[in-house]
Amino acid sequence: MKKKTLRFQLSLLISNLAMHMQKLLGMNASYFPGKLAIKLCPDFLGQIEKPETIICVTGTNGKTTVCNMILDVLTDHGYDVLNNKAGSNINAGVASSLIAGSTITGKAKKKVAVFEIDERSSKLIYPYIQPDFAVCTNLFRDSIHRNAHPEFIFNIISGSFPKNAHLILNADDLISSALSPENKRTYFSIAKLDSDLKECINIINDMQTCPNCHETLSWNYIRYHHIGNAYCPTCSFASPPSDYIASLDFSSHTVTILAYGKEETYPLVSSSIFNTYNEITAITLLREFGLTKEQIFASLKKLNIVESRYSSETVNGIEIVTHMAKGQNPIACSCVFDYVRQESGQKEVILMLDDVFDRDGSSEIMTWIYDADFEFLNSELIHRIIISGVRSADYKFRLLMAGVPESKLICTQKEIDAPNHLSLNGTEKVFILHELYAAEEAMRVKDKVKEAIQNRRNSNV
Amino acid sequence: MSEIKIEVLYSEYANLFGDLMNIHYLGKCIPQARIIYTGLNDIPAFTKETVSMIYMGPMTEHQQELVIQALLPYKEQIQNCIANNTVFLLTGNAMETFEAYIENENGSRIMGLNLFPTYAKRDMFHRYNSLILGEYQGITLVGFKAQFSHSYGDNYHCYFYKVLRGDGLYPGSQLEGLHKNNFFGTYTVGPFLVENPLFTKHLIKLMGISNPVLAFESSIMEAYRKRLEEFQNPKLRFH
Repeated sequence: MKKKTLRFQLSLLISNLAMHMQKLLGMNASYFPGKLAIKLCPDFLGQIEKPETIICVTGTNGKTTVCNMILDVLTDHGYDVLNNKAGSNINAGVASSLIAGSTITGKAKKKVAVFEIDERSSKLIYPYIQPDFAVCTNLFRDSIHRNAHPEFIFNIISGSFPKNAHLILNADDLISSALSPENKRTYFSIAKLDSDLKECINIINDMQTCPNCHETLSWNYIRYHHIGNAYCPTCSFASPPSDYIASLDFSSHTVTILAYGKEETYPLVSSSIFNTYNEITAITLLREFGLTKEQIFASLKKLNIVESRYSSETVNGIEIVTHMAKGQNPIACSCVFDYVRQESGQKEVILMLDDVFDRDGSSEIMTWIYDADFEFLNSELIHRIIISGVRSADYKFRLLMAGVPESKLICTQKEIDAPNHLSLNGTEKVFILHELYAAEEAMRVKDKVKEAIQNRRNSNV
Repeated sequence: MSEIKIEVLYSEYANLFGDLMNIHYLGKCIPQARIIYTGLNDIPAFTKETVSMIYMGPMTEHQQELVIQALLPYKEQIQNCIANNTVFLLTGNAMETFEAYIENENGSRIMGLNLFPTYAKRDMFHRYNSLILGEYQGITLVGFKAQFSHSYGDNYHCYFYKVLRGDGLYPGSQLEGLHKNNFFGTYTVGPFLVENPLFTKHLIKLMGISNPVLAFESSIMEAYRKRLEEFQNPKLRFH
């Protein structure tokens, strides 16, 4: 343990006071106290005492969901877990969590911590926080403002993971599976599915060629983007062998995992493949952490994906689904579009994907929509797409490029007006796909969709 | 009119920020065009036959180095293509591969094709994001920039367009990109031709089509006008 300096003690005291003040004022104290502490004592994270076991979760997509799953299962089994769930996933957020989880003298009050770590913040956090387990869900393209491209993020994380951290990595992801090759690692994967392909149908595939000889890779199967199992036909490069191989059975809603020569079966908490990856990630971590399959099974039976990201409700026979589609993130949106495409029945879709912050005084950088697979919304079963928001003209052009007939497209500047344009004629499902920070507005839109369905029923009676 | 051939260089790498939509859109606008995708291990088509246009999009920093190595053997043919008025469009940091060199933060240099007198400097610790408004031959251009590097040196005699708002080749520069004959290079990403339908018409004319008709013209013009209106608002933040 690093010796605590007077500067550290003072910064801990002041940041603790700030935290209590914020709480007294009813404010969220998840960021500022940590920011203040690091400002006053730059190696604050290095000096504050940490819990005995630390689990860090990073990656482009799914890290919040995976963190929540891990946290829920551990809590379910009596662990008192320090976490940054309520706040920020950058260094200030982690510092705030540690302040909240320590005594006034800086001693850790809890024995286990689960931290979600922003990928770009890795180099500000890992020099001070030595995780016992470091999980990376996947690495994909993300916001071009911050994350640029996967190679940039890969280099940051790979150069930051402490050498002693036991990595939990996705063997189906040829990018993140190569992180920090010297570290101890456990790989997970999902075995070949009937729906797998031999060629990528997504716009983005950031692993088209062998990193060693630049030959085009061959795929035993490809699931989406660069997720799958590949090999180079001319050199020895290939997907790494997996330690936890998951076989999915959507009919019985179960997943059977083969690990260390034994099979274990768990309930599937979601029917979507990307959330299933999140679940397998959490299971692998929890098994390596030391929980038994019975413990994990019992907890997973009670789990649901957080309501703010997904909800489903049926009104007069029409299912209304809200689904977060993280704007500026082409992979997350493509996965959601693919999910909508694969859902059965006649569908209508409301898009509300504008960046809520760029609306205020700037103009959203729209490059990402040309990386996202809007082509998945070009389906005979989707008979109307209502595009809402100030960028609706951009989305309309993108959907036309995707082959969607213009007759199916309706634009409206205000999201709340979108339900007015539903046809509800033979519609079995209405999907409301909303940006991360538009969850509350999506709920208002959902209420209006419910009203529209009720009104239509009343007028038909 | 001779066959229109558009060669896309190294699309397995040079495809960041949705910029391949430049080509997909050209393909919709010129359905008769033959689009040739050349991979890193392939011999470029422009070395074997006449092509109407050569396109390359943004890529990672490591991939820039691979691309420079792949193109160096064909430097003379590339010079000839530029001299013979072949249309070139290089977007994002693809443009840097044609410059003198790319300098890393530690001062080390990756020598480029040296077809333009400018050079690029990387700063991987600072991401530069901005909107840009400019003017080229009476066409008002809009665009986005998202990059780690800027180019420096004198592009006064070879700039692509004048900057009305935002930054050009480097912060403070009012001259964006590189231009020589029918060669156009710009840091603007996300696809430049989709953002600028009037320039797209100009580019298609350069390929020999006298009265081009744009695909989804009314929709793309509506999106362009909307963005232009925003970008011309003096209150709009560009950074």
